[in-house]
Parts: sequence; C-alpha cells; structure tokens
Amino acid sequence: MPGVPLTVLVLVGAGSPAMLLLVLGTASLLNRPLPERWTASLAGAAMLISFAALSLALVVHGAAATDTQLLSYGAWSTSHERGIAIEFLVDRLSLAFAALSAAIAGVVSAFSNRYLHREPGYNRYFVLLAMFVTGILFVALAGNIQVLFVGWEFVGLSSALLVAFFQERPAPVANAFRVLSVYRISDAAMLSAAVLLRNVAGSDSLSLLFGRAATSPASVLSGTDATIIAVLLIVAVAGKSALLPFSGWLPRAMEGPTPSSAVYYGSLSIHAGCFLLLRSAPLLEQSPAARVLAGALGAATALFAGLTTRVQSDVKSSLAYASLTQVGIIVVEIALGWYAIAFIHLAGHACFRLLQFLSAPNVLHDLHGIEDAIGDRPSSRGGILDRMVSERVRRRLFLFALERGFLDSVLDRLVVEPFTRTARRLTRLDAWLCEAVLPKRRPIVVEAVDDRDE
Amino acid sequence: MSDAWLWLAAAAAPPAAVIGASLFPVDVERMRRFAVMSAAAMLLVTLVIAGTPHLHRISWTTSALSWAGSEAVIRVDTLSAVFLPFAAGLWLLTVAVTPRASLDRGGVLRTALATLITLASFLTESAVVLLVLSVASVWTFMAALQDSAHRYQRRIAGIYLGVSTLMFAIGVVLMAGPGAHRTGTAGMWCIVIAALIRKGIVPFHAWVPEVFDHGRLGPAILFSAPQLGAYMTVVLIVPRASPDALRLIAILALGTAVYGAALALVQTSARRACGYLFMSQSALVMAGLDCTSEGALAGGLLVWLSAGLAFAGLARCVLVLEARRGRLDLRTFHGGYERMPLLAITFLGMGLACTGFPGTLGFVGQELLVDGAVEEFPVMGFAIVAASALTGLAVVRMYFSLFCGRPSPPTAASLRLGLTPREAWTFVALVIALVGFGVAPRPLVDSRFVAASEILQVRQLSIGR
Repeated sequence: MPGVPLTVLVLVGAGSPAMLLLVLGTASLLNRPLPERWTASLAGAAMLISFAALSLALVVHGAAATDTQLLSYGAWSTSHERGIAIEFLVDRLSLAFAALSAAIAGVVSAFSNRYLHREPGYNRYFVLLAMFVTGILFVALAGNIQVLFVGWEFVGLSSALLVAFFQERPAPVANAFRVLSVYRISDAAMLSAAVLLRNVAGSDSLSLLFGRAATSPASVLSGTDATIIAVLLIVAVAGKSALLPFSGWLPRAMEGPTPSSAVYYGSLSIHAGCFLLLRSAPLLEQSPAARVLAGALGAATALFAGLTTRVQSDVKSSLAYASLTQVGIIVVEIALGWYAIAFIHLAGHACFRLLQFLSAPNVLHDLHGIEDAIGDRPSSRGGILDRMVSERVRRRLFLFALERGFLDSVLDRLVVEPFTRTARRLTRLDAWLCEAVLPKRRPIVVEAVDDRDE
Repeated sequence: MSDAWLWLAAAAAPPAAVIGASLFPVDVERMRRFAVMSAAAMLLVTLVIAGTPHLHRISWTTSALSWAGSEAVIRVDTLSAVFLPFAAGLWLLTVAVTPRASLDRGGVLRTALATLITLASFLTESAVVLLVLSVASVWTFMAALQDSAHRYQRRIAGIYLGVSTLMFAIGVVLMAGPGAHRTGTAGMWCIVIAALIRKGIVPFHAWVPEVFDHGRLGPAILFSAPQLGAYMTVVLIVPRASPDALRLIAILALGTAVYGAALALVQTSARRACGYLFMSQSALVMAGLDCTSEGALAGGLLVWLSAGLAFAGLARCVLVLEARRGRLDLRTFHGGYERMPLLAITFLGMGLACTGFPGTLGFVGQELLVDGAVEEFPVMGFAIVAASALTGLAVVRMYFSLFCGRPSPPTAASLRLGLTPREAWTFVALVIALVGFGVAPRPLVDSRFVAASEILQVRQLSIGR
C-alpha cells in the first residue's frame, strides 16, 4: 500500500479508541449517555477501524522492510524544548501487539454489548473500555516516556474502576481500592524509571530503552544506570502483571463483569507488563542482574500461581491464576532471551485465555447439566503431584495455596499496617500541636452550631 | 485612560458592584443570582485580558511608595494575566454551588470582598501593598469564623496567620526600610516564614487540618485556593533569595507534599482529608516555585492553576454532599452514585486533575515539576512521584467512600437530593476547563514558560545587583 503513509495509519489506529473515549466521556459528563444501540455501534466501529488501520500499518511496515521507525506528530504541550511530543515507535513487535489488542478489544466490545444489555452501568463500562483500549494501544506504540505513562495510567485507572463496576456492593469497591493501591506502586516505579531515564540520558525517547541505541557501544546509559532503570521497570511490570509479591490483587480483581475480567486479567492488561519487558529487552541485555531478577520473579510466580490455581473454588479465580502461571513463564522466557517464543506465547495465550474467560459461564452451565444428568460430580483422578508428594506435604501445599500464599496478610503486616499506624500517629501529633499552641476550653454553655459555609 | 485600564476596571467592577449591592436589604437569593452573574461577567472580562497580549502592558508606580522600592503597585504581565480569570473562576464556583442555607448576605459580601482582595493581590508586586492586602484577606477569613461555634478554630487560625502577617510586616520593614542592605536577608527570611505558615508547610501546618475539619470549609477553600502565599514567594522571595534558601524551602515543600498526601489517605473525616490534600497540593506548587530551573518553575505555575481549581472544586463537592447528608465519615461507604452520577463523575474528574492524571491540566504541570525537581534534587525530587501516587489513592478512596459501596436508599419523593442545574453546570464547566486545558494545553503552557523565564530574568538582575 504505497499510497497510505504509515504515520496516518498508526494515528488512525491509536486515535479511534481515543475519539470513542472523548465522545462517550463527554456524553457521560453532560449527563446525556448515548442509547445502547449507538454506544455499541460506535464502539464496534472504533475497534474495527483501529484493528484495520493497525493491521494495514503492520503490512506496510513489513513491506518496507525497515527496522524501528519513530513517528513524530509534533510538540503537543508546548513549543518549548521541554514540551511533550506525541511520538510512536513502530516495529513489527509493537504493531503486532497493537493490532492484536484492537482485535481482542473488538471481540470483547461485541460480547459486552449483549452481556451487559440493560445493565445500569452499561455506558460507564464502555467509557472505561474505551479508556483501556486507548491506554493499551499507547503502551504498545509509545515512542517516548510520556506517551507510555499516559497509556500505563489509563490502563490502571480503567482497570480499578471496572473492578468496582458493581459499585452498589461494598466488596467490589474495597477490592478495587486494593487493586489500585498496587497499581499506584507500579505507576510510581514506572514514572521514576522514566524520570531517571530522562535525567541520565537527557532524552525522552524510548528508543534508548527499546531500540538498538540501548545496546550500541555509544549507549548513553552506564551499567549501573541501566540496572537501576531496569529494576524500576521490573517493579512496574510486577505490579501490573501481578507477579510476586504483588499477586494478591489478582483474585480480588475478579469482582468486575466477566468481559472486563477477560480483557484485563485474561488477555491484555496482565500481558502489558510482559510486553513492556519484551520491548525493554535491549535494556535488560545491558543488565544481567535485572535479567536474573526478572527470571526469578517469573519462575516463582509461575510456581506459586500453578499451585494456587488448583485449589480455587470459583472459575474466574482459577482462570486468573492459570493466566498468571503462563505470565510467569513468559517472563522467564524473556529473561532467558527467547524473545520470539515469548511473543508467540504471549499472543497465543492472550487469545486462548480470552476465549476461556468468555465461555466460562457457558461451560459452568453445561457442567451443571452434566452433574444433573449423572446425579453426582464428575470424578477427578488426581494429577502427578498427588501421586509423587506425600499426604503431609500435600496438606501444607494445599493450605498455602488456599490462603493464596498468605501474600495479602504479609503485605498488610509489613506495609499497610505500619503506614496506617504512622500516618494516624502523625494526625494525632497535628491535633496535639494545635492543643499545644492553644489548649481547648470546654464551653460552659453549649450553643447552636453554625454550619453555614459560603 | 487606555484600553488596558478600562478592561482592568471592568474586571474589578463586578465584585465591587456585589459589595455595593450587599449593603442594601435585598433578598439573599436575588443577591446570590446577582453575584453569580457578576462572577460570570468578571470571568469573561478577565479571560479577554488574559488572552489579549496588548492588554498586558499595564504598570503603575507611585512616588508615595518609592521608599519601599520601585516595584509596580499595579501591573498586568504574563504572570499575573492568567491569575485574573483564576480568581474570577474561584469566585464563580463559590457563589454558584454554595448551598442555599449556607450563604447569607454577609457571606455574599465576604466572597466578593475576598475576590477583590485576591484580584488586587495578583495585580501588584509591591511588598507594602501585598502586605496590606494580606492583612485584609486574613481579616476577611477571620470574619467568617466569627460565630461562637468556631471560636477555637478562629483563635488557632488567628495565632498562626497573625504570626505570618507579623513576620511579613517585619520582613517588609527590614527589606525596604533604612539600612535594607544590612537587614535585607533577615527580612527575606521573615517573609519566607510568613509564606510557609500561610501555605501550611510542615512544620508550620497544624492550623490547616484543624480549620478545614472543624472550622468553616467554604471560607477555608476561598482563603486557601488562590494560594497568596505562593504569590508572595514568586514576587518577593524567588527574586531575592539565595540558592541555598530556595533549596531549603523546596525540600520542606517536597516533604510536606508527601506528608499531606500520606495523611489524607488515612483520614476518617472528609473535611480533614481535604485539608491535608490542600497542604500537599500547595506544597507541590511551592516546590516548583523554589526550583531555579525554567521547566520546574513553569510546572509550579501550572500546578498552581490546576491544583487550585481542581482542589477548590473537589472541596466544594464535599460541601454540596454535606448539605445533603451531614458530616461525611470516610470509614463507611455512603453510596449514592445512581442518585448523583454527575457529582460523582465531576468529583472524580477534579480529583484526578489534582493527581496530575493524563488528559487533565495537572498532567503537564506535574510532568514538568517532577522533571525539574529531580534535576535539582536527585533524591528528594522523587518525593513528587510518591506524593502523586498517594494523592491518587486518597482521592479514589474518597470517591469510593462518598459515592459507592451501597445502593442509594429509597427516599420520599418530596426530597430533592440531586444537584440543582446551577450546581451541575458549574461543576461540569470546571471539569471541561480542566480537561480542555489538559487536552490542548499549549497556549497556557507557553505562557507559563514565558512567565517563568521573566521571573528568572528578574532573579538574575536582582542577584547581579
């Protein structure tokens, strides 16, 4: 397609979900949500356009037989040199992941239209889905750290708000806050890595991390800088992809509607971290310590999730941990330098798990039918682990898996409780400071409280 | 009289007219409608001033104040021009969304007076005039706490703000009086302490949560949101202070940004959480202003606008909710999203603007701020990253607690608990402004870079002297 410039195709691909977000978001803000039919049509059209444009961009880029290309759309925030530019860094990897994301988002959008028909939060769901797709495409195509950060934040916020989709119940809301807490740690690590990169390298361009510049002899990053930035990125990835020690949020995130669980924790969001790690491969190659750390985290997560998934009593949690097992293995593959295998694994797993999540309600329905027919549960013969491991060890492993590795209680005890305790003490200290400056006197006559507030 | 002076007079006329009208025995609701229209008119006029470069050429000095320096008594330049619609916007927000039962004639008068004082403060660079206006603004705020129920908060605020004003006065005398070349540095430090107290920077902060929590939230928002302490810093401290002094202030501010955000996250009272959020946001601005790089300074100036508007809107949302539900405890879920979806969405929008979420005005400002701060303070600069993460959590926790977690209870049909059209449109307009400037920030960001460059030029000249 020599007549269609790549810049236009990529802009259309990344821009159409953003336009959808703008339209649906404005309608919500003006308290005039669009009718379901319009919302569904707009969402379907946006995803289709995005998928078509990005697939075409992949073909155009492949035909040109070029390597990485930085597409710049000019300064956005200011004409000053410190301003933020809209830039996309395209290569086969980024375009393939972006096209895959658009395709998966299109499928989920079509599924959600029926699944959430007449649900009170229908419009809210599609606003958040549009935010998510915009975010994931920005993460896939980002050419500088600001664009990457925008995408990362969009994915995080939309994810937390969708966990709290059934917001009239306390449990989803409390769990959404927990998920967001981990995401904020991940965001802070990502932002720190970005700022550090700019400070060290004097540039916002992600070609320093993702391109050949990172491994070239003229690389501006020293070994120590590369290790620090890579470790911060691994923390960001661990938060977003639920690697250890942050895995505790994953089952909590299953409170959202099934299509959102499918797209976030089955296929795309949970792989966003892996994709980022894959993109940062040149940086990882500069830092053996970071590679070892990534590999160890991936292996530990795969083992932990593989064990935990076997004892889950609900299908969504079981699938979520099964996803996490594969995510851990993908991280190990990246750490070992098997990039092509890692990407194929990622893409295949994202599609397969999406299908599993979306068909889970039907499978459950069928299973109930089978149980009714045979009058009992289908028998399970047990796996290799059951035959190889003693009863005592199995019991311990069972308890460990049932309690999901005690991760939540450990994090509560080591992080949440000390933080809360200290902050409450400081609050009391502030009140005491006021008392120290001016002691309170008890009023002899209680007067009517004037609560006017202009 | 030139065009510029006429426009300036037109900007000052609406609050002056409301002050005049409030002296007559007019019905309060009519009075409020008049105040809303006046504030809208002021906003339009000030937007024209801000958007028309040839109106930024006002500078007037008087020989009566020549003993105190050659600074202009009234001036409109790139820095101040943008603050004029900011002051008008805060006034419009106040008179448009304050619950009917909470705004009497005295309240309307005080808000107009406070706006006029804020406007005048943003127009001057004379230390003496700024001191007089600072005294006037403190007096207006204290007048709002006059009732016996808020006696303790009035005294606490009186002590802290009294000390701040006193230090400011001593500083002005030492900097401008005879022998200023010997006492100038001491004077500057006095003004630094005055600004730190007024902005609630740790360790001078204890009055802020107390006044927000147990005082009157509305006047506290109107007093705090314009951040006159930041203006004192830009006009009086940044041009004169040594690099070490600026570093010290910036480090205190960075610490306060984290402290405020962390404490906002664990509060049980929505009002107190607002107080700590204000401390954190205000400290971020201070941190930016005290970094001597152009980017960080421009970032500080941007965060000043975004955080001021977003924080004021957020705290006003809390007031609107309190008018319908009473005091708000953040330990429980209140629900009510279905009944007030617009308030919930705008609350979240304004909260996200406070945290510098992408797509809002705060994003570009915080980006520049983080970058500049890390450049200057390689370790402490990351405090902004931590503060931003904690603020985000605090805001979402408030959102979840105030709007989610349980179904809206059925109410009698006669009870109208939704937003009034005036409230709804004001909050929506504010969010549109925050998102609009977030999506298309270029004119505003460019103007802040020009202002930052001018401030640094003045600093260069001043230090050279």
